[in-house]
Amino acid sequence: MTKVLEVVDISKYYIHKTGWLPGKKICALEPISFSLERGETLAIMGETGSGKSTIAKLIAGAEVPSQGDIFLNGQRLDPHNYRQRCQHIRMIFQDALRSLNPETSVGAQLAEPLHFNTDWDQEKKTSHVVETLRKVGLLPDHYNFYPHMLSSGQQQRVCIARAIILEPQIIVADEAFVALDPSIRAQIINLMLDLQQDMGISFIFVTHSAEIVKHIADKILIMHHGRLIEFGTTEALIKNPQQELTKNLLHAESKHNVLTHSTIQE
Amino acid sequence: MNILDIRNLSIEIETSNGPVRVIDKLSLQLAEGEIHTLIGESGSGKSLLAKAILGFINPRWKITADRLWWRQYDLLALSRAQRRQITGRDMAMIFQNPGTYLDPNSTVGEQLRESIPSHDLPGNILTRRKQIQKRAEELMHRVGIKDHDAILESYPFELSDGVAQKISIAMAIAHRPKLLIADEPTTAMEPNMRSQIYRLLAKLSAGDGMSILMITQDLTAVIPESKRISLVYCGQLMETGPTEDVMREPVQPYTGAMLSTSLFSSETKPKSRLPTLTGAIPTLQHMPIGCRLGPRCPNARRACIEQPPLRSYKKHEFACHYPLIEVDSHD
Repeated sequence: MTKVLEVVDISKYYIHKTGWLPGKKICALEPISFSLERGETLAIMGETGSGKSTIAKLIAGAEVPSQGDIFLNGQRLDPHNYRQRCQHIRMIFQDALRSLNPETSVGAQLAEPLHFNTDWDQEKKTSHVVETLRKVGLLPDHYNFYPHMLSSGQQQRVCIARAIILEPQIIVADEAFVALDPSIRAQIINLMLDLQQDMGISFIFVTHSAEIVKHIADKILIMHHGRLIEFGTTEALIKNPQQELTKNLLHAESKHNVLTHSTIQE
Repeated sequence: MNILDIRNLSIEIETSNGPVRVIDKLSLQLAEGEIHTLIGESGSGKSLLAKAILGFINPRWKITADRLWWRQYDLLALSRAQRRQITGRDMAMIFQNPGTYLDPNSTVGEQLRESIPSHDLPGNILTRRKQIQKRAEELMHRVGIKDHDAILESYPFELSDGVAQKISIAMAIAHRPKLLIADEPTTAMEPNMRSQIYRLLAKLSAGDGMSILMITQDLTAVIPESKRISLVYCGQLMETGPTEDVMREPVQPYTGAMLSTSLFSSETKPKSRLPTLTGAIPTLQHMPIGCRLGPRCPNARRACIEQPPLRSYKKHEFACHYPLIEVDSHD
């Protein structure tokens, strides 16, 4: 396995300015480093405001880091070079409908990244879009649909199609499963696992659902107040958590859950 | 004794394609001091049922029921004023996004004091105010907020989701209702906050004998204190019964699918494909006839175009022609 992504001492500060006074420095993320291998899944967990979304945004290039570097396949990513980054790292958001343009058809939205990043002619673009739609379990007919005409699960599939259309190496998903119904959520998880197997994509999931993390993640990164407090493989963290917070996050849902009661387990 | 008794409730609403039965012959019983969990995906009519119980429904929509009783009152036969009186006295509801329905213009304290009934308190206006303040603080303690002074003075936007939900629970229990309807109280909340809210609701039910109708999307949100669950799909009742029985021996294919998708149930191997239902929930305009699960059901056959009657198996009831377990038809 080769290292796809390497994050070295990355951090983020915001300047909170009030009136004439010089601004106060607020630390959203203290320097952290980690790496990700090809086809691997990393889950970032933590409480609200612990900086987990900040990491996702920094990796996807939506925010510029205050310090530190991100390396993709050993090559340093320039914070402002979006052309370089957008082909390799893509992002999926929580609210699918809001992240899609309501005025443009699904096909046109999917063709847009191709328009900016390739020199293909229209025919080739269209056929690639249709092929991608098939890959995520939609029909070629959906090419002419508008986002509001689709159900929430289909909208999330369009978002995934948009993310994979340039055949990226890393996909960052920020709470992509929260707003979905259980059966649809399982469908989307299945789809993402299939895509990972077919295309060898590495995933970075930001989530607070312990069950999903246990199912899909290879490594877990636990954040607390902008600091990395624990990082390790899923098995190790479940079996032998070093921090109280890790234990809480990974077992919080089961504490109040009937499904984990002994009667059901038998 | 059942304090809430619903038998064959149907709600018909007008759409562009003519009338549609959003809730189709749904039955539900709630005993005193019981927590009943109602599970269904979005669009299955569970919030509508809650609104029908409270009487918050568009008056043009047609509600029919064999029975919609609250204690000895037939809710459908009452006048609007009488119904309001019962709803106001005995029932309360909490919602999904506490931040959005607290008034952003007034402090938490003002809103909480407003919800405390003051007409039956003794004394004059000054002593009443003191009593109300005391009761507000007491309510804050009940829902597990210790620094009541700071929270009472703050505005809703200053609170986190969990605290805002606790405030809304405090407001809901201010007049000591008999029935609390919790409409997805913890969706999009952190796991730790989630279990705090669950614990609080369970405590309220056990301490005060308050009945709680808990509405959730997910089987993982069922708490051990909830003795009975009902699964609803597209307004039709799929399965109902004691929680442990239903979880151990799901009879309806829908229950089985929900259990297997909730990841916890079986020893699912990491990174394996999750068994789930195909397709998505139908829209109002395209409701299937007969059993509405039909197009997504793995067991569906020809007979499913007729709505199955409610049958019983051991302690639970279900509606299905082809259940997961062989059920004796004379049962």
